[in-house]
Amino acid sequence: MTTATYQVTGMTCEHCVRAVAGELKTLDGVSDVRVDLNPGGESAVTVSSAAPLTAGAVAAALDEAGDYRLVG
Amino acid sequence: MTAAAQQAVEQQAVELSIGGMTCASCAARIEKKLNKLDGVTATVNFATEKAAVSFPGTVTSDDLIAVVERTGYTAALPAESEAGTEAAGASGPPEDSDGETAALRKRLLISLLLAVPVVVLAMVSALQFRNWQWLSLALAAPVAVWGAWPFHRAALVNARHGAATMDTLISVGVTASFAWSLYALCFGTAGETGMRMPFTLLAGHAGASAIYLDAAAGVTVLILLGRYFEARAKRRSGAALRALAALGAKDAAVLRDGREVRVPVCRLVAGDLFVVRPGEKIAVDGVVESGASAVDASMLTGEPVPIEVTAGDAVTGGCVNASGRLVVRAVRVGADTELARITRLVEDAQHGKAPVQRLADRVSAVFVPVVIVIASATLTAWLASGRGPAAAFTAAVAVLIIACPCAMGLATPTAILVGTGRGAQLGILIKGPEVLESTRAVDTIVLDKTGTITTGTMALAGAAAAPGEEDRELLRLAGAAEDGSAHPIGAAIAAGARQRLAAEPPGGGLPLAGNFASYHGRGVTAVVDGHAVAVGRAGWLADQWAQPVPRPLADRAARAETAGQTAVFAAWDGAVRGVLIVADTVKPTSAEAVAALRGMGLRPVLLTGDSERAARAVAAEVGIEEVMASVLPEGKAAAVRELQAAGRVVAMAGDGVNDAVALAQADLGLAMGTGTDAAIEASDLTLVHGDLRAVADAISLSRRTLATIKGNLFWAFAYNAAAIPLAAHGFLSPLLAGAAMAFSSVFVVTNSLRLRRFKPAR
Repeated sequence: MTTATYQVTGMTCEHCVRAVAGELKTLDGVSDVRVDLNPGGESAVTVSSAAPLTAGAVAAALDEAGDYRLVG
Repeated sequence: MTAAAQQAVEQQAVELSIGGMTCASCAARIEKKLNKLDGVTATVNFATEKAAVSFPGTVTSDDLIAVVERTGYTAALPAESEAGTEAAGASGPPEDSDGETAALRKRLLISLLLAVPVVVLAMVSALQFRNWQWLSLALAAPVAVWGAWPFHRAALVNARHGAATMDTLISVGVTASFAWSLYALCFGTAGETGMRMPFTLLAGHAGASAIYLDAAAGVTVLILLGRYFEARAKRRSGAALRALAALGAKDAAVLRDGREVRVPVCRLVAGDLFVVRPGEKIAVDGVVESGASAVDASMLTGEPVPIEVTAGDAVTGGCVNASGRLVVRAVRVGADTELARITRLVEDAQHGKAPVQRLADRVSAVFVPVVIVIASATLTAWLASGRGPAAAFTAAVAVLIIACPCAMGLATPTAILVGTGRGAQLGILIKGPEVLESTRAVDTIVLDKTGTITTGTMALAGAAAAPGEEDRELLRLAGAAEDGSAHPIGAAIAAGARQRLAAEPPGGGLPLAGNFASYHGRGVTAVVDGHAVAVGRAGWLADQWAQPVPRPLADRAARAETAGQTAVFAAWDGAVRGVLIVADTVKPTSAEAVAALRGMGLRPVLLTGDSERAARAVAAEVGIEEVMASVLPEGKAAAVRELQAAGRVVAMAGDGVNDAVALAQADLGLAMGTGTDAAIEASDLTLVHGDLRAVADAISLSRRTLATIKGNLFWAFAYNAAAIPLAAHGFLSPLLAGAAMAFSSVFVVTNSLRLRRFKPAR
């Protein structure tokens, strides 16, 4: 079980939170996603998963969810 | 060509109306999902709520709609009549918001007609004839089902997201009251002939004998009414972009083989030579090939001093050629021009703004789950107490019925309606009423200089004659010489001189001038009253006329220029004999306005594209310490963003096209009514008279409106929340439900009406 926090830009409202969380949860081994929404700025997304995720997979999931970018 | 290939080539286009988008990210998400389909290209516009989709024959429009709906939004094909023209691409601005308002009005009026008898019958027991309850049911059924349909639908969509909004609360309340009444009529005692509603406030155990059709119908109508007010006041998006587009020239006189041909601006290509006559707009961005003139770029830069241009100088499309004929070589056309770039920036700023979540929705998000928990707890407690499922069910449903505060729907719209109306009386037009609902309080006011703090036009600010000369003679001669000038500085001198001469005894006007000649941007010469007069820049007078400027006049000019003013010299009879100071003057009310803003706890900041020197001079005059000068149009928006990033909530007042982006970016954009359409459309509030004092009024009005909305919401919920314990204990009666509804509605409306008494500070 590992937990990682990512900084994501482009999230503005609860819709975004649901889209991002929904998409991240489809990744293998992800059990929980928490989003600390900061509209218009960098939101902290905390992902709990069985094994560490690659940044590429997270970025791909964010891209899949909409116009969101992984910045750190 | 194979059939499959042919099918793939046959692209169809459709424009879908998208519903349920709350921010620009929603649009991006839908776009992404649509583009995933093979061969589909889609662009989704959040502002117009449209998706332009081009798709191959392998995909049907139903597939597209299904994709959008799976993403969590609604999609619909455009109405038949516009399907052809809209899909063709060159569609005009969307007018569907009008159609929506009209549909809402129809729904409201029909529901109102049906609901009034239901409410009257329920309240006045004398009117309750035999079988009245069945008539009530017949009248209330369409209201509860069709009238409240938008709420049911929105509640379902929200439920899919796992969210609860105001719509959820309404839908649950209306459904509970209606379904309960239906049950009571069919299976309880309420359907019996000759049934009368007991006229008691607290019905012991009403059981299945009470009906709440009036609550179901009344709530629906009140909420629809609120929605209708809201829809009517809603901002028409895209207006700023249309205003910007209207600024550009429509056509241009292109030189083809030495002949002028008028072509629409969109047909210009880079490298074309085109002619701009005095008074015409420059079509696109370019470089002057020949000719010299003064170009009025005030609508773009906000600065009133025209820019002198000659061969080799760059000019910007949309600016007005003030004096001479220019031949310009087009450099940037279409989407590359400065004007197009500003348009895009405004669009981005407007879209980037996350819409404020409705206060009522925020309250509902907490209230709904609590109500549902209370209802379930009530059901469990009654069942556990062993008083039978009928009584338990009655009490639980009663909780759901009473929990829906009908006044909630009126809380925001009535306050906004009254606030907007009062604003209009005070010369404050509120274009985006939703900004009044924004919860954060403005703490910084950014003021544009030219046109906002100052008048934005050149005026004669001073005249000083050389020792031994009369000021009056200076005004007479220089004014007359400049009278024929088309140059804004010359025109300001002539107008100022005429005014001053008439105001001072013995009065009189300007003499007639002869042999007028203008030397592009440098000066003019004329013969007035037998004197050869030259008015112009110091350098020009010295070079062309070999007339040096006397020391006292040069000192006066230097002082003026330090303060950001423009000095022009006048010479006659072979010597320089006077200096005229021309400047953009500060509005007489500006200093008072800045003091008022400070008094409200706001930090004023001066933001201008003008030089630091000129900005400091004006700032000192009106009492502003914070100055941001030499800021380019896109820099203005960046400056606002910077302030916002520092945690400040920024209001911005401006008037020019160059302010439009910053106005859209600011938390509260205020445009001067005397300014450009682009600024007015990009802003949230327009101050009709262009008086800066109205900024303070506008901000306090919006503060008061927000306070009223909050008060309304509190009372709307409080009445119903107070009745929940009664309902949970089985004491709810139709009369009590009706009373809560009536009292809270009346309270909310009266509270909103108090905004009518809002008095401006001055």
